Amino acid sequence: MRLITHNMLQCHVKGCNANNFPLELQEVVLEQEEAEMNEDFLRNMLTKIEYEALVATCLKLDINDLPAAIPADAAYNDEFLQILHRVILETHIKSGKMVCPNCQHNYVIRDGIPNMLLAEHEV
Amino acid sequence: MTTKNPLHIPSAFQADQPDLTPEEKEQQYVHSVYQAIAPHFSATRYKPWPVVEEFLNTMPAGYVGADVGCGNGKYIGVNDKLFMVGSDRSSNLISICGERGHEAMVCDGLALPYRPQFFDFAISIAVIHHFISPERRVAAIEEILRIVRVGGRVLIFVWALEQTGKRDFDKETQDVFVPWALAKKPAEGKKSTEPKKPKANTRPQGVKKKDRKKSSDHIVDARHSESVVTEELSEMTIQEDHTDNQANIIGDSNKVSNSLQDQSSTAADSLSSSSAHNSTTATSAAAAAASAESNPPTNEENAPAPAAEAPVYNRYYHLFHKGELEDLVVQTNKASIVQQGYDRDNWWCILEKTRNE
Repeated sequence: MRLITHNMLQCHVKGCNANNFPLELQEVVLEQEEAEMNEDFLRNMLTKIEYEALVATCLKLDINDLPAAIPADAAYNDEFLQILHRVILETHIKSGKMVCPNCQHNYVIRDGIPNMLLAEHEV
Repeated sequence: MTTKNPLHIPSAFQADQPDLTPEEKEQQYVHSVYQAIAPHFSATRYKPWPVVEEFLNTMPAGYVGADVGCGNGKYIGVNDKLFMVGSDRSSNLISICGERGHEAMVCDGLALPYRPQFFDFAISIAVIHHFISPERRVAAIEEILRIVRVGGRVLIFVWALEQTGKRDFDKETQDVFVPWALAKKPAEGKKSTEPKKPKANTRPQGVKKKDRKKSSDHIVDARHSESVVTEELSEMTIQEDHTDNQANIIGDSNKVSNSLQDQSSTAADSLSSSSAHNSTTATSAAAAAASAESNPPTNEENAPAPAAEAPVYNRYYHLFHKGELEDLVVQTNKASIVQQGYDRDNWWCILEKTRNE
């Protein structure tokens, strides 16, 4: 699972509707895998990404490359886009878990794949 | 072909099962079936349907899409200018996506874990017909619309009642069991010792990302013995059972099977016990699950026919009549229909999300 995907995810346990993002990463094993850069994708992401959550998540993982705020010229700032690309697209979570800050539900990541299934009473 | 075998003919779904909740029915007649047949199923699923391919190729570069019910992920790499995330209820199918370097996760179509309105588009190909009630089918469409932004488009395919191709369904019966046979290869078939490598094991063309996992990275979970299943499947003839047109491919399922994780233990036990005896027919996923969980191979009493060659799994389908998919979309009150059609035994439509509430 890439870090960008973590930024898309929220807890979806029934009734857990507030403070359910971002899921807190714990016991994480990371891996860098090179990927082709897609500027269109990165620019599109600038409007979708929860940047504050991304930076906070990265800091907990000792990834300190991102500036605290999105640069004003981000869409055409090559240096920034390179960093963003490396962080959100090339950084993979191979294993660990994601914990909901609200209801404490644990979502396990194994072999790079998050299991987001809920028990029946949680749906 | 499979249709010649009486075991492969669709039958009416017994809707009157008061002991089972809708969730339990889908668990028995959809989820556990796909868990069990995942490698075999995947090997028959590699050629993108043209309507889906065109939909993906007309999306602007950089768009972000969700493939809800992505199976083995055959659509995720079609257009490498997009970023797509796949999800499926079957962890065994999602493991195959992971092996291919796709972004994928295990989740239920009625409870997607994504932030609202995140995606520019979504696809749901041959998925909605597996939900067991009209309410759940509408809910599945609503959940897809929840994660797509206003103005975003959604492509949905469902199996058609009116299909006249390979299968000829009773036009009065919309809720059916469609068998999936894990068939042994015929004696006159190609030699299994030199199987043709199925395209399913290759990355889709046009995907140039260098993030494909090295073979040394492949993780084989040794805690459970999948080798029995692997051996069984590697000798099987891949029999076409849906609407793709690639029949009777001799498949080397080894690589795919290696991706099985320990969640497959139930299916694996069931498969190996049935196949090994070579005279047992699992008449349904329920029987398969039962044999694995409580009473080891005693399926003979359930077998409707004399000795069959391999287990047959019944999948539940709701066959859509003309206009029915559009009716469900209208019920959501959140999308308009941009385009619709019939292709390869399926009704399909493209929606555009018009509102959030």
